[in-house]
Amino acid sequence: MIALGAIVAAGLVTALSVRDAVALDLVFTLLLYAVLGQSWNWISGYAGNISFGHAIFFGCGAYASALMVTHGLSPWLAIPAGAVAAAALAIVTGFPTLALRGHYFSIATIAVAAIVDALVRTQPWLGRATGFELPIASGWAALQFADKGPYIVLALVLFTAVQIATIALERSRLGYYLRALRANHAAAAAVGIDERSWKLLAFAWSAVIASCAGVLYAQYTLFVDPPSTIALGVSIDIALIGVVGGIGTLWGPAVGALVYVVLAKGVALELGGTGKGYDLVIYGAIICVIAALRPHGIVGAIVDGLRRRRGALELGAASATGGAA
Amino acid sequence: MTAAAVPLLEVRGLVKRFGALRALDGVDLDVAAGTLTGLIGPNGAGKTTAFACIAGAERPTAGSIRFRAAEIAGMPASRVTRAGIGRTYQIVQTFADMTVLEATTTGALLHHPRLNEAVARAEEVLEFVGLADKRQRLGRALTIADKKRLEVARALATEPDLLLLDEVMAGLTPAECGAAVELLRRTLARGITILMVEHVMEVLMPIADHIVVIAAGKTLFRGSAAEAVRDAAVVEAYLGAPPAGDGAEAGR
Amino acid sequence: MEALTTFAQLLVGGVLTGLVFALVAVGLTLVYGVMDVVNFAHGEFLMLAMYATLGLALLGLGPLLGLPLAVIAMFLFGIIVYRVFVRRLLAGPPEATVFGTFGLLVLMQGLAQAVFSSDFLSVPSPPFAGTIRFAGLAVSQASVVEGCGALILTALLFAFVEYTETGRAMRAVAEDRIAATLMGIDVQRINGLAFGIGAACVGAAGGLLMLSYPVYPTAGVPFALTAFVVVALGGFGSISGALVAALLVGMLEVFGGFYLSPELKLVPVYLAYLVVVLVRPQGLLGRR
Repeated sequence: MIALGAIVAAGLVTALSVRDAVALDLVFTLLLYAVLGQSWNWISGYAGNISFGHAIFFGCGAYASALMVTHGLSPWLAIPAGAVAAAALAIVTGFPTLALRGHYFSIATIAVAAIVDALVRTQPWLGRATGFELPIASGWAALQFADKGPYIVLALVLFTAVQIATIALERSRLGYYLRALRANHAAAAAVGIDERSWKLLAFAWSAVIASCAGVLYAQYTLFVDPPSTIALGVSIDIALIGVVGGIGTLWGPAVGALVYVVLAKGVALELGGTGKGYDLVIYGAIICVIAALRPHGIVGAIVDGLRRRRGALELGAASATGGAA
Repeated sequence: MTAAAVPLLEVRGLVKRFGALRALDGVDLDVAAGTLTGLIGPNGAGKTTAFACIAGAERPTAGSIRFRAAEIAGMPASRVTRAGIGRTYQIVQTFADMTVLEATTTGALLHHPRLNEAVARAEEVLEFVGLADKRQRLGRALTIADKKRLEVARALATEPDLLLLDEVMAGLTPAECGAAVELLRRTLARGITILMVEHVMEVLMPIADHIVVIAAGKTLFRGSAAEAVRDAAVVEAYLGAPPAGDGAEAGR
Repeated sequence: MEALTTFAQLLVGGVLTGLVFALVAVGLTLVYGVMDVVNFAHGEFLMLAMYATLGLALLGLGPLLGLPLAVIAMFLFGIIVYRVFVRRLLAGPPEATVFGTFGLLVLMQGLAQAVFSSDFLSVPSPPFAGTIRFAGLAVSQASVVEGCGALILTALLFAFVEYTETGRAMRAVAEDRIAATLMGIDVQRINGLAFGIGAACVGAAGGLLMLSYPVYPTAGVPFALTAFVVVALGGFGSISGALVAALLVGMLEVFGGFYLSPELKLVPVYLAYLVVVLVRPQGLLGRR
């Protein structure tokens, strides 16, 4: 909670004082990715169903925004509309696939996302492959601003809400049940947990969060097309952010987004643009090192360290034999 | 008093096939409310399979399983638990990255959806099973005896009417067995009915009200522990088996 | 009559496409079978092999002459990647292998982009540029060479795993790692070898594909995506399953591209995957 307060304060100061467009763009991207990473973390981190298709829910929000605005409706309506679409898509696709385990689920999410991507590219009402350019407007009613400051504030509101929701998740029946299902589905069934219904609930909420981020993204870039919203590359970015920071942890996605945006994008900008692949090299190397040396992610490694200090593991003679069995 | 005439759990003609293999070939058993029933039989007799069918982990090929007179055969495990049957596993199944308290709380959430109530309930259960001082340990860092105790705690936290225990004594030292028996007696005193698979006969005979012996997937004998020891068929099929077989099943 | 010719044309195209998919997929399924790792960088291994083949071609070694060299180079590359990297991932939680190999994917794509830029590069004047015509069908020579080469190499790999001592050791490790260790099999060596052979398979596939495809940093992605589906369809770890599934996927893709639309050509492939994993989770020929 203290950390959250500090971030909100720092974000507000940034929004009000910084005028450098590139820096503000990085801050916005950071917050957006932290939200998307947390959304992914609900189903893939806490529940353990690793998704490589999460961008389709982000796309629900972005496309809802594009459709509302291009049809002359308020972009605010895109928030509930995108949420309903995302939740429905999560339930329809999750119902058959969430019971699949390990790689089968992960590849199923790639398959579902690829089908959605291909279908969007053939639908005239969804702008086919070229997508939508949103007409320029200004003000809170149009959810568009000439200045980047209000976008940072909105991103900060969304980020704070999602972090608080995640704290609530960790302290709820749903949170406990997801962790139990991830740890051992047979033992989870033995305490009365119905895998499908609880995972569907988490998947739907996770999709709603991603959709909210999608609305904000569309209103910020004013451009929505398949490669920037629903493509496999976006899904992979989201998943890798979740894992770099540490899956199934409250602050993992935020730390992952920080690593991604500051280290990869930021350093690549300094080295002369992202078009040359330097960002991928740096980011790929970071992921490789973390996966090989700190496979529980950055936050996961810190949590393990704290636990060890508190003695929860207490690797004495007695517990060592238990751990070996 | 008519309710007492109907057993809490009534299994009739239970059959389970895995391909060509008939693991269960007509098992009958009754468990009367408030009693401890021991399920015994030689290695490979189908005890664990019978448990899996009752608990909903396996779908029986044929036969009926009635719990409080309601048919539960073929129900998924989570619904069987919600109907009031808790279980432990022969090979301990922990929630590896949860603490003892968190794992027990997960069980308690079944009937106490609010977390603070569930935690309070879990604390009581941990006190009851004697794990309260280890509540902040991780499940994976416990000894075998404590892991088994945690499984019992997790099952008790779901507030079952019937507890299925699959070899909770296997791999325990005599002192740990003694503590476990004492825990079973206190569990019975709370009005919870127990059906247990057990290999350590000396432990089971004094505490079991009823014994069911299965061999080759069929019920061979039903009766009291004293009758079981006297029954020639039981002695031949099971008690006469070389003691070397005892430990082997635990590793299966 | 014309519809029949079209159908036959598509059938031949589907089979030839499927055979190349098979060669890419068998490497993936072998690695999965032996060490339970889905190498998400498999497509990037293919991309590297394609660049290597291009480099050898520019040095005067045509795609087919360069092929054995590409195979050997990728085999060594695979072993090094296993020794330096994948071995460490295996010590971590199951997610570590997923994300580690994904990291490798990102790193290799980034390096390719930094070194070779995003341009599409092709072998100048490749051999087998002609077209074979018979019975009203037209097939490019290159795709016939690719398909036949892929079939021969897949058969060789199958024979290796089934009939050699090392292949038997691999199957033993795939069956039960602990038992294999007890039998005196060096699991680390077998894992490394399997990873090397998996990379060698895409080495060969890359050599063949450069006959007709351009290479660019993300050239491996479409092949890898198809390979994941093929491997899952055929049953993770099953080489014969991968061959059957690859032919099926090749057909679905070619027929889907023709009868639906080119943009939707992968939709039937992914739908087939979803239907199969939901109805028969162990894959077409996989064991439970």
